[in-house]
Amino acid sequence: MSIEFLEAVIFDGLFAAVAAIGFSVISNPPRKAIYVSALLAAVGHGLRFFLMKNTSLDIGMASFFAAFSIGLFSIFFAKIIRCPAEVFSFPSLLPMIPGMYAYKTVLSLVKFMEHANDDTSTAIMVDIFRNGITTVFILFALVIGAAIPMFIFYKQSFMMTRLLK
Amino acid sequence: MTDKPDVHDLLNFLLDYATTLMGVGVHTSRIVRNTSRIASRFGYETDITMFQKTIIMSIRNNESPRVYSSVKRTKVLALNFRINSNLSALSWRTYDEQLPLSRITELYNEIMAEKNMSRWWVLFLVCCANAAFCRLFMGDVWAMCIVFVATLVGFFVRQEMMRRHINHHFVFVASSFIASLIGSSAIYISACTTPQIALATSVLYLIPGVPLINSIIDIIEGHVLVGFTRFVNACMLIICIAVGLSSTLLLIGIDSL
Repeated sequence: MSIEFLEAVIFDGLFAAVAAIGFSVISNPPRKAIYVSALLAAVGHGLRFFLMKNTSLDIGMASFFAAFSIGLFSIFFAKIIRCPAEVFSFPSLLPMIPGMYAYKTVLSLVKFMEHANDDTSTAIMVDIFRNGITTVFILFALVIGAAIPMFIFYKQSFMMTRLLK
Repeated sequence: MTDKPDVHDLLNFLLDYATTLMGVGVHTSRIVRNTSRIASRFGYETDITMFQKTIIMSIRNNESPRVYSSVKRTKVLALNFRINSNLSALSWRTYDEQLPLSRITELYNEIMAEKNMSRWWVLFLVCCANAAFCRLFMGDVWAMCIVFVATLVGFFVRQEMMRRHINHHFVFVASSFIASLIGSSAIYISACTTPQIALATSVLYLIPGVPLINSIIDIIEGHVLVGFTRFVNACMLIICIAVGLSSTLLLIGIDSL
């Protein structure tokens, strides 16, 4: 692993952290949770970047593993700062939302409407489906990946906010 | 138990508590657990029917055959994780410290009265976030600047319209249209090598991520009806974003992309 690659992973995580802070403040979290979601987003997005560049995993599977690790860490941090785990696991998933694929889906839908009678519409159809299906798969991978740890530690996930142990 | 409160007071409080949790975006099984936990401290059992708009609740105890029921409309509140976290903690405190109802109500009101982060801070952080998001999609510096401005205007418009209680869907269409229109200016700046990314990212601050995740968790846990309602609501908002974005695409001419 070269230095440049390591640098790229770290930068990726850094920008993901900034993004997570911004997206988490929309939903008014407790102050401590903001820092944790920034950290988790950096870890998750960095991991996804690493997996996509270094292994043969596609973006969907890489997202799944990244979301799974975010879910595990969030259970761990929830125990420490006594917050429900979803308070920081949800915002830290948001930087992984497949925005470009979603945009390309909309773009090709609009194109499809404009070129209704052309031969190009078959190619556009493929675009719509490829981008649309990728978007949906990544979204589901993110949600289910983050939810599985919550179900593994089902009992505990409701006891995070208990002060008495 | 000597400190038994009036059953109607308790029922009203529990409904108030549950509808608040529903309003601030808590997934259903947590609402059920928290509410039942508070009720169990007073020796009552609860059965809750939950819909997106209303909550129906019955409480009873073993000492008498009487069942008390009531319905309450869900409050319309913004997403709020602080209230979620603090109210969950309150339910455990009630259970562990055996607090009386008057004290619980007091604590509840305290939690509800706490101030949120200033809206200008939120605006600034969301702009930074969206600009950073643009970088994650490999946008260049110009694209990041344009996304920052687009988010600034779009999110401000959204905040102002939300404050005036304009229809939710219209707010989403309008702010996504405005943000993407500003984002599309990247096409006319020759220094910007990634105009498409600027255009795509400019609307992403609107994505209803938390409701979407909540809905899937609800469905997995078996609260399919509530989960599906939330899912449909979230999808409606996403469609609104797409409508705003495609208006821009049609306006600037699709062939330039």
